[in-house]
Amino acid sequence: MSVNTKPPKLAIRLLNTFLRDDLVEEVQGDLDEKFQKDLKRESRYKAKWNYWYQTLNYLRPFAIKKFKRLSAMNNQLLGNYFKISARNILKHKMISVINVFSLAIGLAACVVIYLFVSDEQSFDSFHSKSSLIYRLDEVQKFTGTNEQRVALSMPGMGPALKRDFPEVNIYVRFWLRGKQLMIKDETKQLIDNVMVVDSTFFDIFDFPLVHGDVNTCLNRPLTILLTESTALKFFKSTEEALNKTIFWDDRDYQITGILKDVPENSHIQFEALMSMVTYTKGENNVNNSWGGNWMTTYLLLDPNSNIKRMEEKFPKFLSSHMDDPQINSYYKLFLQRLDQVHLASNDIEHDYINYRKFNGSYLMIFYVIAGFILVIAAVNFMNLTTARASHRWKEIGVRKTIGAKKLQLFGQFIFESVMLAGIALTVALLLDILLIPMLNDLIGRQLSIAQLFHNVWQLVAVLLATLSLGIITGIYPSFYMTSFDLSRLLKGGNKGEGKSVLRSTLVVIQFGLAIGMIVSTLIVIQQLSFMKESDIGFDKDQMLLVNMNNEANEKFETIKKELQKQSMIKGVTASGQRLGNNLHQWGFKVKADTGVLSITPSNVNVDYDYLTVYGMEMKEGRGFSKDNLNDNGRAFVINESFANELKLKETIGTRAGHDWYHNDSLGTIIGVVKDFNFNSLHYKVNTLALVVHPEWGYNELSVKIEKGRNAEGIAAVKKVWDELVPSYPFDYTFLDAHFEEVYRSDKQMSAVVTIMAGLSILISCIGLFGLAAITIEQKTKEIGVRKVLGATESQITVLLSRNFAGLIGIAFVIVSPVAYLTLQRWLETFAYRIEINLLVFVAGGVLALVIGMLVISYHTLRSARANPVQALRYE
Amino acid sequence: MIETRLGEFEEVILLLAGILGEEAYAFKIAEEFESQTKRSVSIGAVHSTLTRLEEKGFLKSEMGKATAERGGRRKRIYTITAYGKKTLTAAKEFKQALWDQFPGFATSKLSFVYS
Repeated sequence: MSVNTKPPKLAIRLLNTFLRDDLVEEVQGDLDEKFQKDLKRESRYKAKWNYWYQTLNYLRPFAIKKFKRLSAMNNQLLGNYFKISARNILKHKMISVINVFSLAIGLAACVVIYLFVSDEQSFDSFHSKSSLIYRLDEVQKFTGTNEQRVALSMPGMGPALKRDFPEVNIYVRFWLRGKQLMIKDETKQLIDNVMVVDSTFFDIFDFPLVHGDVNTCLNRPLTILLTESTALKFFKSTEEALNKTIFWDDRDYQITGILKDVPENSHIQFEALMSMVTYTKGENNVNNSWGGNWMTTYLLLDPNSNIKRMEEKFPKFLSSHMDDPQINSYYKLFLQRLDQVHLASNDIEHDYINYRKFNGSYLMIFYVIAGFILVIAAVNFMNLTTARASHRWKEIGVRKTIGAKKLQLFGQFIFESVMLAGIALTVALLLDILLIPMLNDLIGRQLSIAQLFHNVWQLVAVLLATLSLGIITGIYPSFYMTSFDLSRLLKGGNKGEGKSVLRSTLVVIQFGLAIGMIVSTLIVIQQLSFMKESDIGFDKDQMLLVNMNNEANEKFETIKKELQKQSMIKGVTASGQRLGNNLHQWGFKVKADTGVLSITPSNVNVDYDYLTVYGMEMKEGRGFSKDNLNDNGRAFVINESFANELKLKETIGTRAGHDWYHNDSLGTIIGVVKDFNFNSLHYKVNTLALVVHPEWGYNELSVKIEKGRNAEGIAAVKKVWDELVPSYPFDYTFLDAHFEEVYRSDKQMSAVVTIMAGLSILISCIGLFGLAAITIEQKTKEIGVRKVLGATESQITVLLSRNFAGLIGIAFVIVSPVAYLTLQRWLETFAYRIEINLLVFVAGGVLALVIGMLVISYHTLRSARANPVQALRYE
Repeated sequence: MIETRLGEFEEVILLLAGILGEEAYAFKIAEEFESQTKRSVSIGAVHSTLTRLEEKGFLKSEMGKATAERGGRRKRIYTITAYGKKTLTAAKEFKQALWDQFPGFATSKLSFVYS
């Protein structure tokens, strides 16, 4: 029999460890016999494999050893562990405080990040069918405009999809009407986020209805549902509101239901819902409307649907419903699962129904940062404990002599570190209770530590995480300390601490992460302030925006004249759309030498002096003028991008017009305006055509107010408004506030990164402080001798600092390229971005070095100045 | 209270122990089980059942003689007790009684009622 035909040794050992002693003989005999038999029939490999299988199958209650119950003794042991740990923690107060605090800060940061991330991820999760709900989106590629992904779809698409695709169970469409004035007797209220929805709304979404019938409330034309707080604006109670009517846009709508207020974590936010039937009855049935994209469609799919296969069938679907043979080169439909709508829509434009849209890829960054912080804190713990080992030689030695087993010593150290981790967790939660309200102010959230206690599993997870953190950070120091050789220990010998490769590596990791985060913070802040300060081509500051209705449009010239009389008002104009996002696109024709070109730029309807009031500069030609009669509807100012796209020899004077203009009655391009960023800086400037078309009506009045006179300005506008426009309340906002909202996701990320970078350098420095204290203490004698032999204070300071400075230097060299590449990738998500300045890296490194040196200088200077006599007497 | 009824697996193991007689030890029974039923079973599972059957009083066991073929280790040989035999017979008779009532397989002539 060859050596290799024996059963696997490891399996035998395993069997021996768990098998009851009185069974060992027979079982081993049986398994052996089985093994020999297998060997004859099958391969050696299979036989061994089977032996393992048989061994593991003996893990049954009847066969395993009864483990000795030593609860009394265990309690005693634990009690002893506890006592010793407590004494040790109290004895080395500084080190313990450093340990607990750095871990606590790390844990507190992680808890906050967890709360933040889970708040974002909770979006839309309250819909019971959320995994089957998809939003219909489009990729649009029109001539003359950048390719864009949009959240809009055509009204006809929903019904047609349900007819053509067996996968589509239900569709619901939203038609966002924005802010609307609703009237009940004397009460006039602006209701925001008014939407028109299909009657299938409740079949897909789980927004609770308080009063009314879920099945029928949206079935009739001219019916409306109000949320509780909207209803209370008009009625004393929600019950009273039911079945009453409310007046909007010249018609009475019956209130057929009252909805609960929409929860904060819903991407769809509304205050009133109107029935879609209102618009599908009669001749202008929107169900047959194709071509224009102005609705948002959600589909409830069959659980067995294959999204990919559906998307493959969309081109055929489009060409079967639309006459244009080119249709599939303009449009590509795609589906977006509900949970992606909130977190993965950052590259989606015309996304008007998406409250608090967040860039989901930042969540990953947050998790990584939380991990970094925890690593930095854990490193402190490990470093300080191992560096301090010399203090415990005697203890370990005595314990070993008395007969402590390695495992028991190990248990003692692990227990100690778990205990510290537990204390740290308590401190962390206290810190969070204090700091979360401040953080909420900073990033505009309602995070609460209480969320952690809502769910038992979360709590268990936090406790388990802390426990494992204690164990993991305890393992290395425990190994280190229990590995001492007994005889050397008791002699008080030296186990070559002072220079530990691992300890140095850990410091490098720590400072590497800290430097990386400092540099990232600097770059992120630079980019954000670049976006804030950079010349976007128009003046967004001090611009008051006022919502306009019909009456305001009718009296626009009067309002303007009245406002221009005020000294603090620098300009008054109006427009059909607000800047700060993409503008609506529609067809546009240009009559070139080669024929009429069709192009789809963004378009906006503006007042004559819009360009002047917003400070937009002309590149060529002239702006709009009231003196020129043709400028009303028949003159266009296009932007530079559009002019470049057209590549005409002579742009000014070229005949052009909107899609529906007859080729013979086109208007003229009268000017080219320099490119300005009407969209967020994540996007390149799109082609744009401006037109003056007062009959279409403007949506917003823009009033430029002198700096520092905001209050006065607002009061003046309100006074004029209330006098002239009694039918509509004065409702305003500032354009720069709107821009803040546009960059919210980026700003919150930068706030979190900044705070975390600060914390990481703080924790690293706390650790360095402790480490310096220990290593310098160990060198007391050396310093004494050097001083006696004539070393100067500065020489000694340099000697002591050199080591740490070197480590920080290595960390800098390692981390810089990694940070550079990561930041470069982040910056690429912006169409307009800063160049990374390498000086920033130098600044980050120097900052870390200076802080590090300052921190240890407390110890280095003290020991350098100490009287050498005391040093030599030491021990 | 000790459960005294026989499960299907237990019944088969008990029968096999009876069939194998002097050779009835865990490995042999498992092997026999596999060859007779074409189902795979681990020795551990058989051993566990044998222990249970012994606790119930259907089997008794003692260590056999040492043999060279398995490294000199002894086997535990199980023998069926009188109580075990009685329970097996009872189980068989009970089933037979059930079979006799089953029309599709009753030995008497088939009689279907048409109406």
